[in-house]
Amino acid sequence: MENIVLGIGVAALAGALATVAGAAEDTESDIGSQGDPNSQVQLAPQMGYMHRIFNKAIAGEPPAWGLWITIGAGVAWAFMVMNINPVLAIILGSVLASFIQGVYSTTAYLGRTASLAKFGQPVYIDILKSVTSVTVAHAFVGIFATVTACYLMNAVLGHPFPLPILGIVWGIALGAAGSATGNPFYGKERQYQNQKFGAGVPISASGNIVRYAEAGERSSLDNGWFTSKMGGPASGLCFGLIVFFELWRTVIFEPINHGWGAVIIGVVLILIFMALDRWIEVWARKTYGPYTKAEVQEEAA
Amino acid sequence: MPKSALGIAIVLLLVFIGIGYYLVMNGMIGMLGFEALIGIIIGGVLIAFGVHFVPVGGAPAAMGQAPGIATGVAMLAAGAGLAGVFGGAWAAPLGLWVALGAGAVGGGLLMAITCMMVNVTYVFAMGIPAASGKVDKDPITGDSQPEYKSQGTEGHGLPFISYVGGVIGGILGGLGGTLIYMQLLAVYTDMLPALMNASADQIMPIAISMAGIFAIGMFLVNAVLTAYNITGTIEGPHDPKFKRAPRAVVASAVASALCGLMAILIVVPL
Repeated sequence: MENIVLGIGVAALAGALATVAGAAEDTESDIGSQGDPNSQVQLAPQMGYMHRIFNKAIAGEPPAWGLWITIGAGVAWAFMVMNINPVLAIILGSVLASFIQGVYSTTAYLGRTASLAKFGQPVYIDILKSVTSVTVAHAFVGIFATVTACYLMNAVLGHPFPLPILGIVWGIALGAAGSATGNPFYGKERQYQNQKFGAGVPISASGNIVRYAEAGERSSLDNGWFTSKMGGPASGLCFGLIVFFELWRTVIFEPINHGWGAVIIGVVLILIFMALDRWIEVWARKTYGPYTKAEVQEEAA
Repeated sequence: MPKSALGIAIVLLLVFIGIGYYLVMNGMIGMLGFEALIGIIIGGVLIAFGVHFVPVGGAPAAMGQAPGIATGVAMLAAGAGLAGVFGGAWAAPLGLWVALGAGAVGGGLLMAITCMMVNVTYVFAMGIPAASGKVDKDPITGDSQPEYKSQGTEGHGLPFISYVGGVIGGILGGLGGTLIYMQLLAVYTDMLPALMNASADQIMPIAISMAGIFAIGMFLVNAVLTAYNITGTIEGPHDPKFKRAPRAVVASAVASALCGLMAILIVVPL
């Protein structure tokens, strides 16, 4: 009984850590244009729109986060093998991984922006100085929280994978969850804030991203401020739910029916989320209504 | 599918399976190793087929210009599949079938939550309803789609058919990844004690780590290979691009056979 109570507590703690990690991951990714909207940041100068937006996307969000978290987890694991206190080991691993994220961000921004020289886009050194450190800080939060969650899975819940492999698995999953949930909010709502609300960006508007703020030119730090209101927390909720339910169903229901209990609960959870999604879809159709009348009605009229 | 390419693929597949059988005949690997090779090929095929179900919109989806999830094909599928491998590996001591079930459900659960949060973002943060650009009616719910598509876009969000496709893709990915992991774990726990002159308990951490890293690697091989077949975006099982699946299935069978052979050969004493 005590084991189960401990397991539930650890699952909840890992879920909470994952929520923090997801929020930090998405905010870091939006400040650095790491996700898919980077295509618009890169396209804008080619269409004649110069800007001061940071762009460090030289790898997709999931593999980039997979790399940083694996480095953090790997270094922490190596320190733990050397009998260093786990808390200190995880902090040291996360610091080193954040440092590598900083090197990655610097070279990626310089490389991506310098490639736009023939379109007249300058490389701003002040952007490099002010924005890189903010992405590194967010990356540290994301890496530390995820590596700690991985450590709990391995050391307390007894998952057989060693810490570095858990780092690969959950690093890629974190990037996948964060980019899936957070990218549309940054790409549509922030980059194309001048387009109509409640509709997709017309393909003809591609590249015409918002480049000016209330005063002066828009900075990527403003993008982090904006997306942390919705994209960040939504990504956090997404990753937190994934980690929590994955652990919770195994910890509590695996002893039932030789492991099939956890599988059945997983299926039930999938069906519940499916029903919720359908409710959201129907709610949107009823509340927002169609953009145009159905073709059949037009023909009848 | 071009017949010459299909012919080459089948010949290559038979050659790799033949090499595996030759190793069994010469006593270099047990029958378990040959069974594992076949299991790995089936696992790879499941992954490649499953990735076609996942609705991926890439960069256009991030601007609400196309339906699907706003990230890359390979990485999204990898995220789901690896979460499945995590669940499967945890349930491994309970037997193959329970582990496969846990892996499938793990992948499906990640996709179920992620796809729901995609629609939460589109609907509650951006005020955009889901609409498919490829079909006039959702094949499952029968909801009409074209009038919910905003002007100048190919659709946006995840209509229910895409959501179900995402969950099926996650389930197949988790199943395939876990099958590869379980097969390799069986081979390594069987052969490593003799190779390293150590007890079964001592080699267990190495066997688990090797099987895990190879399963992740083979997952990425199959997911990336399939991404080339899809070329960009796909809405799910109702997308015309879904018909390209057999091509990826054949290619992934060959790739998995070669990767599986390599993964088994590293524990064969020479």
